[in-house]
Amino acid sequence: MIAPSEMQLDALTEVFNVGTGRAASSLSEIIGDEVKLSVPRIQLLQASEVNTEALFLKNTRLGAVQQNFSGPFNINAMLLFTEERALEIVRDMMGSQLSLSELAEYEQEAMCELGNVILNACLSAMSDMLKLSLNSSLPLYSVDSSESILSKVFPKENQPVILVLHINLVIEKRRTQGYLVFLLSSASLENLFKHIDQFISGI
Amino acid sequence: MPNANDIKTLLVVDDSRVSRMIIRTCVLQERPNWVIIEASSGDEALEIVDRDTPNYCTVDINMPGMPGTDAATKILSKYPTTRIVIFSANIQGNQQTSASSIGAQFVSKPVTQKSVAQALEFFEGGK
Amino acid sequence: MNSATFKNGLTWEQILDAVNLGLILLDNQGKILLWNDWVAEHSGITAKLALTHSLESLFPDELSTSFKAALRNALQQRLPIVLSNALHRSPLPLYSLPIKKDDGIRMNQSIAISPIIVSDEEHYCLIHVTDNSISINRERVLKTHTERLSQEATTDALTGAYNRRFFNGRYESEFGRAQRQNTELSLLMIDLDYFKNYNDHYGHVAGDKALIAVVDTLQKQLNRPTDILVRYGGEEFAVILPDTGREGGQAIAEKLREAVANLNIPHEKSEIADRVTVSIGIATYQPGTPSNTTLVLEAADAALYAAKTAGRNCVRFQPA
Repeated sequence: MIAPSEMQLDALTEVFNVGTGRAASSLSEIIGDEVKLSVPRIQLLQASEVNTEALFLKNTRLGAVQQNFSGPFNINAMLLFTEERALEIVRDMMGSQLSLSELAEYEQEAMCELGNVILNACLSAMSDMLKLSLNSSLPLYSVDSSESILSKVFPKENQPVILVLHINLVIEKRRTQGYLVFLLSSASLENLFKHIDQFISGI
Repeated sequence: MPNANDIKTLLVVDDSRVSRMIIRTCVLQERPNWVIIEASSGDEALEIVDRDTPNYCTVDINMPGMPGTDAATKILSKYPTTRIVIFSANIQGNQQTSASSIGAQFVSKPVTQKSVAQALEFFEGGK
Repeated sequence: MNSATFKNGLTWEQILDAVNLGLILLDNQGKILLWNDWVAEHSGITAKLALTHSLESLFPDELSTSFKAALRNALQQRLPIVLSNALHRSPLPLYSLPIKKDDGIRMNQSIAISPIIVSDEEHYCLIHVTDNSISINRERVLKTHTERLSQEATTDALTGAYNRRFFNGRYESEFGRAQRQNTELSLLMIDLDYFKNYNDHYGHVAGDKALIAVVDTLQKQLNRPTDILVRYGGEEFAVILPDTGREGGQAIAEKLREAVANLNIPHEKSEIADRVTVSIGIATYQPGTPSNTTLVLEAADAALYAAKTAGRNCVRFQPA
């Protein structure tokens, strides 16, 4: 895998800044409170480099929302939070004193919607800015051990590259950290960077 | 009423080089006579305004270190006649009103010919 | 409507009409092409009326802003969108059967909007709606929010204290007993100081933990089995103290106040202390006086108010 240039990473970061900005805007309309979403760090990794230690997630249960995007390139996109954080986020979104068991009932669909808003916003920012068009599957939420979820990320024949975005989500002034993980084949990555190069050269 | 041919100085503040390039290109397309200076952070912007006070300024809201809104407030408190546009992909609720109260205006990202046109309108016509 | 055959005499339309969820198909301009029986029944609008209109023209002012935004996004971006029942009660004007539109109570809905792309120029949007009202789990949550529904549970799920419903019955009966047996009864109203600030600053999870800790310590101070601690509201508690007069009641109240303060739960956003504290109002029923449950309750409330006004973290008494 050829390492991306500084300009390419800069452009990619800008795309995700716009995407997460729009996502935060949509979320705050839905929740009715201030929402901030930022991407302090982007990493491009080989699948073999990704493991739970690399992401500081050893021995935790993760809540994962997943959507498969297809078009000029294919991206398997996931929003990841630890399960504890996911429940807190659900409570913040629903804004009331619910008990733990009540929260668990809403967790699945509330997290699905949260993931859907964020993933759609990021990928549609990509579509808008890079002038392409993507389709997607409906979001799926699952809760599993971090090892198990990330094992879906580990080397598959055609998906050796992982783009990891560390994200900070602030709802009602409570700050949470999570990850946006995008899996793509090296062919897809090449294609993505081709579009980014076109975007940069068009400036 | 400012003329499109007048020479003005615009300071572009954004940590993303790509963003600064886009703003520069879009602005120069409409105002080829303007002088564009760049800063990659709020701190850098504050140093520059003292040396080279610009007529207009664009600031990205999302920068490491000093947030864009702070940078805008600081610049305006020293140079209140500067017109400042804050670019943001996440303009919520009453942010536009609080921006107006300090003499700035929010414009949506991504930066396109259209959003730059909005910025120019604020700089030259102003509300 | 194309009634293409699926098999023998069976058409696709018949299959879609038999499905037990709502299906609405829109073209890329948002015009309705399919409106299955489920939707027709739960909206009170027939397919004949709905077809070729847009949802907004069928239901001006009746669609939630979130739904309209989601639909716009789906049509423009062609990405699938979910509207969870958790965050959106009832985006569409759909009702449980039989429809009583006048009472205006919409069905709880879960909605997904899926784009169907045939080609660059030809794409559609399929809206699927399911009824969430019948979920057994959802009923449990509804019960804690709706007092008129009957409820078996008498304890508060979060703290383990008795709940408001239990209080109503128990207070009446203890009061009645005090009146008949000519004994005194004291009522305490306890409220956490600046608790909204606590939640805002430390978050709801911390807020819940604080409530649990407070209840635990209050419970520990109440030794007699007849003394009842109740979670009266979000951050408000009541204590029924049978066979207790003013002096005894005030002593217990002071013990409770101190116990909470001694928990030393840090509270940076309290305006009167650096830890979680409570204000307590107390009122007493004296036998032989013309009084009733309402008067004593109101007096305890007024006493609580006096405690707040006096600067919080204190106990005040009000004669009934």
